Amino acid sequence: MTTLTRARARMDWPGVFFATLLTVAIVGPLLVVGTWAFTEVWRFPNVIPQQFGFRFWGQTLGRADVWNALMLSLRLTTVVTLLSAAICLPAAYAFARMSFPGRNLLFFSFLAGHAFPKFGLLVAIAAIFLQLNLIGTFWGVVLIQLVGTLMFMIWIPVAAFQAVDRRMEEAARDVGASPLRVFWSITLPQAGPTIAAAVLLSFVGTFYETEGAWLIGAPGIRTMPVLMISYINNQMVIQYGAVLSVLLWVPSFIALMFARRVIGGGAFARGFGG
Amino acid sequence: MTEIAEGVVRPLIDNTAGRRPVGLLLVAIPVFLMIWLVIWPAINAIGRTVWRTGASGETSFDLSSYGFFFSDRYSLDNLAVTLWTTMVCAILLLVICLPIALYLRFSQGRLSAYVQALAIFPMFVPSIILAFAFIRVLGPNGMVDILLNAVDLPKIRTPYLTPWGPVIGLVWDNIPLTVLILLAGLGSVANQSVEAARDVGANALQVFWHIILPRISNSILVALSFSVLGIFSSFTLPYLLGPASPEMLGPFMQRTLREVQDPIGAMTQAVIAFGFCIAFGLFYVRSVARNQGK
Amino acid sequence: MSVLHIRQVTKTYSGGTKAVDSFSLDVADGELVCLLGPSGSGKSTLLRMVGGFEQPTGGQITIDGEDVTHLPPERRPTGMVFQSHALWSHMNVFKNLAFGLRLRRMPAAVIREKVEAVLELVGLSGYGERATGQLSGGQQQRVALARSLVLEPKILLLDEPFASLDQHLRERLREEVRDIQQRLGITTLFVTHGQDEALSMADRIVVMANGKTEQIDRPNVIYREPQTPFVAGFIGTMNLIEGAVSDGNFMRADFTLPLPVSDGPAILAVRPEAIDLTISETPEANVHRVTDYGTHGLVDLDLADGTRIKSMVAHPDMFQTGQGVQISPRAVTAYRDNRPIYRS
Repeated sequence: MTTLTRARARMDWPGVFFATLLTVAIVGPLLVVGTWAFTEVWRFPNVIPQQFGFRFWGQTLGRADVWNALMLSLRLTTVVTLLSAAICLPAAYAFARMSFPGRNLLFFSFLAGHAFPKFGLLVAIAAIFLQLNLIGTFWGVVLIQLVGTLMFMIWIPVAAFQAVDRRMEEAARDVGASPLRVFWSITLPQAGPTIAAAVLLSFVGTFYETEGAWLIGAPGIRTMPVLMISYINNQMVIQYGAVLSVLLWVPSFIALMFARRVIGGGAFARGFGG
Repeated sequence: MTEIAEGVVRPLIDNTAGRRPVGLLLVAIPVFLMIWLVIWPAINAIGRTVWRTGASGETSFDLSSYGFFFSDRYSLDNLAVTLWTTMVCAILLLVICLPIALYLRFSQGRLSAYVQALAIFPMFVPSIILAFAFIRVLGPNGMVDILLNAVDLPKIRTPYLTPWGPVIGLVWDNIPLTVLILLAGLGSVANQSVEAARDVGANALQVFWHIILPRISNSILVALSFSVLGIFSSFTLPYLLGPASPEMLGPFMQRTLREVQDPIGAMTQAVIAFGFCIAFGLFYVRSVARNQGK
Repeated sequence: MSVLHIRQVTKTYSGGTKAVDSFSLDVADGELVCLLGPSGSGKSTLLRMVGGFEQPTGGQITIDGEDVTHLPPERRPTGMVFQSHALWSHMNVFKNLAFGLRLRRMPAAVIREKVEAVLELVGLSGYGERATGQLSGGQQQRVALARSLVLEPKILLLDEPFASLDQHLRERLREEVRDIQQRLGITTLFVTHGQDEALSMADRIVVMANGKTEQIDRPNVIYREPQTPFVAGFIGTMNLIEGAVSDGNFMRADFTLPLPVSDGPAILAVRPEAIDLTISETPEANVHRVTDYGTHGLVDLDLADGTRIKSMVAHPDMFQTGQGVQISPRAVTAYRDNRPIYRS
């Protein structure tokens, strides 16, 4: 992109302005939380903690409710992601490559999930789950989180499949590969990275999903995010929350690194309608 | 080298497989889930709150739950604070994200990449961590208070547990997607289009108003719709950062359903939320459908 | 009625690459000068610097005596026609043309008059209400041209405006643009990588390579008297034979030619149409291929060391593959150290 500003290789003042503002507003708060995680004593009005240490890491990780929530979250998220991949990826392939009656209508129906105010929809679903006795159950939460991944796991893989150059596949057919072999050796590897990123983002998004888990899962099912809510509400020792925050954030960071390529591509934003 | 005939467009969808229903089989399960857990609940919520089963078991057209909502002082206050929060967030998001998106579109280099990375960053911070960080920074005796105290300034009136708490949190949370959607829209404005405008004498502001804005008006509306749909009924941040009363519709609905144990009341509130957002929802669906169809 | 002076303009990118290296040019009032060169020669960068879309790292640009080097595009008296026409797709043709006039706060009646006049000038009367997407490629470029002309710029800049059009359309538009330019007497700078375009349109041509000027001259001079091997090879088809001069004879493999220059290396440039061939038992070269184009023929010759020479002949059926021939050029230019040392 060409530079259109009048700047003659001078200071990029707007850039400096935005960078400073965003660093303070976005990185700042997280630094504070990070500092709290490694604090043993920090009393107002000290600008930095009086005493650093790892004591609270041991304490937090020693709590039974933390481990239960962590294990539960991992089980839940894995089940949801695997289920989602299993049912959505073949569907994505069908949407991307096959023609069948109602294809367009059904494809755009996946937008319906985003056409309603999200929590309002969750409440409507919860009302139904009440009657089905799914409230507070593992599978109730699985279902609700599964729906949350649908649009993501359909639209991005569809874009990935459509982006595979048909001529590569035709060249493979030309040298004698069967359709199944073409799919396995050409289509899947080509679309693979994008789909892998979608699956990863799905996993991370589900892990952090709060609203559905709280609404449907409470009180029996307490995922990590829900546990954090109770910690914040009950004003537990600050360090517990800070340690949990740092712990919770690690998978997010890993996802960030891997999914950068998908986020950068225009397909992602277009998937949200930009 | 085989010659490709002029004008033969290779179809994206392989129609040679015919309109066999194999595809239908593959998409059946996700579609079923979508219908059962999105479309049906919405219809069901509307239905059960409009046709009520009386004590004697007969069903009749009965809008009393809506009547209650619109006559109840408490409910109306909650609705009002929800509308206010959504509007303020939408305006703040535009005011913050449009300049950032414009800057990112028309600059390059490492600083620009850094700004972009920062703008996208909140997408990878879960809402609860955000809430926790908010309280640690802007809450009573939080970081801001500490810093102000260190330079002998008075402590701020914390926005924690006021309607401004959720506003700050929701804006922070929605910056990435808004910037991304606006950037995608700005991507369709060709550099030469802007240069041509400057060539005929338009200054930066005129270029923005006459050339860029008309081209991204759709993106802006999509970004707005997406934010509104997310913010209007959001739960986590208003629940953790906002006041107990008046509360936003999200926490209100949750309380009505799980604590007051009034499913009809909760569904009524949900349907009212649908109603207020319907224009945005329809617009959003139409926009994305048109975009994908291109 | 405007004069453009470009004085030692340089554009250096971070990293040290020079896109334009100390370029100087004086364009006279009403002149059409073509910047001609291969991709990467710096011609587009230079044009954009004249238009204000890039900043020179050094040097000066003046229009009618006014230093515009650091003025932004909106304040320069230049009008640019972009390669991609860059019409504003959310405005119809009329609004595209009127936009610049509206910015200058002209009364509506005057705007209407000017727009209609310029539409007639480019042959698109009555097209005001059309959407830009409904126009053909050629029409879009005409509107782009009109958009610049309606503001009566002092200098008109054209950045390969016909590159995306097909051959016939390109030739037709070329003539139309030249007509309009001469009729209005507007000083014009035109960038192209097509030598046909440059040779047919320009009052003068600037041949550029690697950011530097190779030669500035009228078209026929460029063609007949290229000053460097690069220019010689860039314009038209040219045989460039590297060899050595010894005892007044140029030699390459078995090919010799008397050349009254001092001993040393030399590059011989000779046009295919300036070579006579005679079949001989003691050949200097062998026929590799004969191609018959109907009106003439092209004979590809191989020297003993594999060097390929092209020769245009009136009667291609006289030659066959494998035959031995003697080469007699009628007119040559010899270059040494990037300068012509002999011309016949």
